[in-house]
Amino acid sequence: MARDAATPRGVASGAVVFLIVVSVFAAGCRGRWSVDELEPDRIETTVFLIGDAGEPDPREVGAPLDSVAVHASEAPDRSLIVFLGDNVYPAGIPEEGRSEWADSRRRLAAQVAAVPARARAIFVPGNHDWADEGPFGLYSIRLQEEMIASLAGDRDVRMLPGNGCPGPVAVDIGRLRLVVLDTQWWLHDYIVRDDESACTTDVGEVTAALREQVRPDREDRVVLVAGHHPLMTGGEHGGYCGITGPFHRFGGDSQDIISTANRTLRDSLESAFTEHPPLAYVAGHEHNQQVLRGGRAADYLLVSGAGSYAKTSCAVRLRESYYVSQHRSGFMRLDVMRNRGVLLRVYRYTSRGTGGMSYSRWLEQP
Amino acid sequence: MAGAALTLSTFFRAARTRRVWLLLAALALPFRVPSAAAAQTVEELLHILRLEATPIGALPQIAMPMPASRNHNYWGIRLQAGERRGRTGPDLRALAGGIDLQYRGGSIFGITGGYQSRDCELAGEDCGGHTFFGARGRFNVISGGPTIGAVLGDYSATSTLGTEIGFGYAPDVMPELDACTFDIGVPLSLAMLQTVRLVSYVTPSIVWDVRCSDDGPPTRASFLAAIGVGVQQIGARGLDVYLGLQKIFRSGTGYQFGLSVTYVRLP
Repeated sequence: MARDAATPRGVASGAVVFLIVVSVFAAGCRGRWSVDELEPDRIETTVFLIGDAGEPDPREVGAPLDSVAVHASEAPDRSLIVFLGDNVYPAGIPEEGRSEWADSRRRLAAQVAAVPARARAIFVPGNHDWADEGPFGLYSIRLQEEMIASLAGDRDVRMLPGNGCPGPVAVDIGRLRLVVLDTQWWLHDYIVRDDESACTTDVGEVTAALREQVRPDREDRVVLVAGHHPLMTGGEHGGYCGITGPFHRFGGDSQDIISTANRTLRDSLESAFTEHPPLAYVAGHEHNQQVLRGGRAADYLLVSGAGSYAKTSCAVRLRESYYVSQHRSGFMRLDVMRNRGVLLRVYRYTSRGTGGMSYSRWLEQP
Repeated sequence: MAGAALTLSTFFRAARTRRVWLLLAALALPFRVPSAAAAQTVEELLHILRLEATPIGALPQIAMPMPASRNHNYWGIRLQAGERRGRTGPDLRALAGGIDLQYRGGSIFGITGGYQSRDCELAGEDCGGHTFFGARGRFNVISGGPTIGAVLGDYSATSTLGTEIGFGYAPDVMPELDACTFDIGVPLSLAMLQTVRLVSYVTPSIVWDVRCSDDGPPTRASFLAAIGVGVQQIGARGLDVYLGLQKIFRSGTGYQFGLSVTYVRLP
């Protein structure tokens, strides 16, 4: 009997079965991401996640921002747009009078303008907003906060955490609790506090506050945590992608996952999440879109940093990846349903602005 | 080919009681060839025997590991079966198991233990087998995919280029003959599709047999190539299956077909 299995016929049969299995799985992969339109009444809050949008084309709005504006304007009262950092490339808001000031304002204004009336928006700081990790970072963040308030007028658009503080700041909207962090504060190599910092700036206290805020205060609470830096990535900052990827594995740059500083940040956040992992930790930083299995830290890790087509980059599919979109701009949409259910939808666009929803998944089953 | 088959069969039987070099010298006599050429033939036989007996020649190669989170080290298990057919002499079959550690989402280090047997119908009374052991490091050098993805129209495509180094050891391949091998390869994998990953791979290698018995010929090198296809993340996220084909570029070695199943435990 053992010999039968090793005959050419046995080997050939095995190969045929293998190919059939492959074909079935391959066929099964097509078109699974289509989703029926939800009844609008069932949606309590819609959160749009768009990161690294600080490089808009100076001649046109661009598909991601344009599309977010259209989506949010359908139901602005229940819409929250979260800009996940790197809101102004290349180095945040400079002092007024500098030659870069007007263009920096233009970049920020394009994003603030995408927030429809009656919709809310939160700008999370990123490393480029901290003067590209430079010594002027703390002051650049404060300038950006002031400029956002100035551009927003009477709309509920603001930078969180404000005043160059690390956070966390919790925003409750119905079932949703969004906890916002300034992760660059943890990684910055220059001044991160001064006399104007009216907030906790002790790492241990920040972690303790985060641990407290992710603890659900009601049974149906949906907790999301937002920060600029991802906890996991298959992009350049994870040491992947092309010939430059390996250079990100040496750990010399705090912006890279493998660096000691980044690891300290991630360990601190993950320790805060241990007792009550949030539904999702959402981030930008990588210029692509990734939906990842969160493991012990969170149920899901979302990376949505494809807000500027000019910046889009590679992403490798990891074993933890549910979905990956590379070299395409886009954003994510989370619909928090009234009683139960959180639906994620990923939108991606080509350089010509064509595209649409490319992936969907119930993060919390309805 | 017939002469070579006779030589190998005689070699197996006589080696039970004599030292290998004496046997090889005796085997060379009937061919009435110049001594240098005879020695080359014997060396060739021993070289092939060693390559085929250790994991590098006994088991199929598998694709570079799927990239994973840099945050964790992942443990995995591996089951492999290989069969070498079309060679001069009886077919060889091997079964093995292994444990792998994927370090920080990229490189993987593994140990392997298994057993190889010969086809009893051809080998007759000499159909007994031997154990083999191996260790292998596979280093992820570059993982990318946009260029390949654009060509294939699949923007989830990932290409992975790596290097690998392996050591193999098989005691008592024949009486008083242990086999040791060492190889360096350059594996290239291409994975496609979003949910279940379809992966194809090729691994050109160069392999040396290393003298680890008391006597034997000096170290020699051979080229080896492996190709294969597989599916990753089938059902469970950590479950992969690969079908591989391997060729050692030496005459009389045939081809090796193999099946590998790996499972990586995610937290």
